[in-house]
Amino acid sequence: MNNLSGIDERLIESILDKVDRPARYIGGELGAVNRQKNEGDISFAFCFPDTYELAMSHLGMKILYEILNDTPGVICERVCMPWKDMYVLLKENNIPLFSLENRTPLNEFDIVGFTFQYEMNFTNVLAMLELGGVEILSRDRKDNSPIVIAGGPSCCNPEPMSSFIDAFFMGDGERGNIEICECIRSAKQKGFGRRETLLLLSQIQGIYVPEFYSVNYNNDGTIKEVVPNIDSVPQNPRRRIEKSIEDLPFPKKPIVPFTQAVHDRMVLEIMRGCTQGCRFCQAGMLYRPVRERSVESLMEYARAQEKATGYEEISLSSLSSGDYSHIDELVEKLIAEFSKKRVSVSLPSLRLDSQIKGALEEASKVKKSGLTLAPEAGTQRLRDVINKRITNYDIMQRVKEAFEIGYSNIKLYFMMGLPTETYEDLDGIVNIAKCISEYYYSLHKRPKGLRITVSTSTFVPKPFTPFQWAKQDDLETILKKQEYLRNSLRIKGVQYNWHEAELSVLEAAIARGDRNMGRVIYGAYKNGAMLDSWREHFSYDIWKKAFLDNNINMDFYSSREREYDEILPWDIIDIGVSRDYLMRENERAKKAQTTRDCRQGCMGCGLQNIEGVCV
Amino acid sequence: MKMRAVYSVSKRLRHVGHLDLMRLMHRALRRSGIPVAYSSGYNPHILLSLAAPLNVGMAGDREVMDVQLSEVITEKEFVQELNNSLPEGVRILSASKRDDKHPAAMSQLFAAQIRYDFLSPADSILSNVDAFMQRESIMSKRKSKKGMVEYDMRPLIYALSVNDGALYALLSLSSKGTLKPASLIEELSSFAGVPIPQYIAVRTALYADKFIPLEEA
Repeated sequence: MNNLSGIDERLIESILDKVDRPARYIGGELGAVNRQKNEGDISFAFCFPDTYELAMSHLGMKILYEILNDTPGVICERVCMPWKDMYVLLKENNIPLFSLENRTPLNEFDIVGFTFQYEMNFTNVLAMLELGGVEILSRDRKDNSPIVIAGGPSCCNPEPMSSFIDAFFMGDGERGNIEICECIRSAKQKGFGRRETLLLLSQIQGIYVPEFYSVNYNNDGTIKEVVPNIDSVPQNPRRRIEKSIEDLPFPKKPIVPFTQAVHDRMVLEIMRGCTQGCRFCQAGMLYRPVRERSVESLMEYARAQEKATGYEEISLSSLSSGDYSHIDELVEKLIAEFSKKRVSVSLPSLRLDSQIKGALEEASKVKKSGLTLAPEAGTQRLRDVINKRITNYDIMQRVKEAFEIGYSNIKLYFMMGLPTETYEDLDGIVNIAKCISEYYYSLHKRPKGLRITVSTSTFVPKPFTPFQWAKQDDLETILKKQEYLRNSLRIKGVQYNWHEAELSVLEAAIARGDRNMGRVIYGAYKNGAMLDSWREHFSYDIWKKAFLDNNINMDFYSSREREYDEILPWDIIDIGVSRDYLMRENERAKKAQTTRDCRQGCMGCGLQNIEGVCV
Repeated sequence: MKMRAVYSVSKRLRHVGHLDLMRLMHRALRRSGIPVAYSSGYNPHILLSLAAPLNVGMAGDREVMDVQLSEVITEKEFVQELNNSLPEGVRILSASKRDDKHPAAMSQLFAAQIRYDFLSPADSILSNVDAFMQRESIMSKRKSKKGMVEYDMRPLIYALSVNDGALYALLSLSSKGTLKPASLIEELSSFAGVPIPQYIAVRTALYADKFIPLEEA
């Protein structure tokens, strides 16, 4: 923050009177830092490329916001993607996009850091940069421009956004982000220019600076090679992996928004990583190995958060909470201590095969909710293909238990379009819903008001998964399958939700894109694409045109099966999990062979080769 | 025992909606450790009621709420503890005890005073205030369930005056009739034949019958 910005507060106030849900732009919430701009020497804009309500539900932001603001000399402020009406008014009135805390324009920060949670937020990143007065293209930035960095799961393939982001950070961000701040401080003190600063940054473990790597292509559009164009940068930048999360800081005083966030409650990250090894799941590969927090420290964080926020609900966060070694003990202790304070405990994303009955019964003492299950596929064969080790028997057991303790609200999540899927597998989805419905109506004593919600998302092959080589169903096939399910799921008590097919196809193209994809994203933004993950704003036509204009074939990225010998755009990154392992898993998938949970014996995913990370 | 408290909502927080403000008070009360009473039933909630929702975009200088307590505490403790737990922009100014049977603040409401702070020149409407008020009836239209209906807003305006460039209005706010602050400024602008100026409205006081301040009723 070089100088005071001179943003016209009066103008902002009059704009706020005109926009939808203005409370999301006002800042000043309980827990938000309240410091003058010049109190620190490094300013960090934590940018969330979607709306405030989602940003304030994001655990990563809560963690890093507190860590950065607890770091001496560092001031971290939040910047979110404005809704379209606000975007237009800011632009019309020449008001730069500003932070919530001090209404500081984005281009006055030293570091502009985005979190990439989802590929369909990428146009928002461009919108925020432009609106904030930061050059959209990395190569246009000057010595006094902010350094634009990005982290989060959708950075694992950095190439589609490599024209816009100066440096990517991959992996656990708790220590890495402090190192980034220190690095920028030292570059500032030495009077470094951009290139020198980026070179210094590239020495931090977990950082990938795309401009130091050159990509050459074959005639068919596949990649020939990716090589560093400068000495002293790593050949394959490796993801940052913290050996333990127990001693990493966790929020004790999270911000309490004025307006309701999507997840408006306390969150405890009980565990990072997952050993289940579901073959479609990118998070399951990206966050390895499994690291747990102790019950004692989780209780401490819960106490601190409850005191600081007054929230009425605690939720546990992890990829597979049922696998947490002390889940029963933790839930028991949380309920024992917090039910008298009228705080309820909710248990999301519990897997079917975990021993949760006791926990569920305990939870229902405080507040009744529903049962959420994610069988992901409709038949045993397909579940074996994706390595989701649950059976129809397991599902019916859980449903039975849920009905017994009085739940009548069952949510089922499935994926559609998985590799090797046939209509028989779709019938499997229908059968599960039918069985639950029939079972419910066969009961003499049953809770009132059955509601089975079946939701299907469309399979999107993702980098660093065993299915990274797979083709995605083409748009027509996806639409036909959805139609089939719509017709088949007209069952008493069943409601069917499906995911927009066009969005999934685009997501697949962008997720596995190379550097050329940047032109498409830029073109789409220039033609008006933004807030693409919001139905009311998404326009497939704009994107189709952007592909056409840039002479790039969407199918090449979304529905083309890759050979094992093809160099993939993200191969430059060493994510920890080896290509060999992913290939082995893909081969096992083809034979519908399951792979055990690696807690029961190492499967050699690659992490065992990294010193001291996985034991 | 009930506590009737007076609180303020700053201009910066004027966009926080009524339900959000309720939630904010709930959580502040929870954080404060003040012994509040909960409703019985399936989803128990704190027995708290705000006298009148602030229209979105409006700040409040002396808003009123009732909180049911489960144990007796002093007014001073209540004000202090709650203020320690509130975010900047919402302050408890005072509190006084009521017994359980005392009518709810909401039901005692009679009128509200509004101050309009103008962000753009408003001289032409301010100079028309007296002429506006001299009319016997001021017919206007408002949306209802049956579409637009005509009504007379004059009886809903008890007083209208100008002081130091700001407009002060004493408006009816009761079960018998409520005039929205925005409707008044629209009608006044149209009477003066000028576009609606930019302004921020602040509710400066709430009154019970006979213009007794609601916090004393």
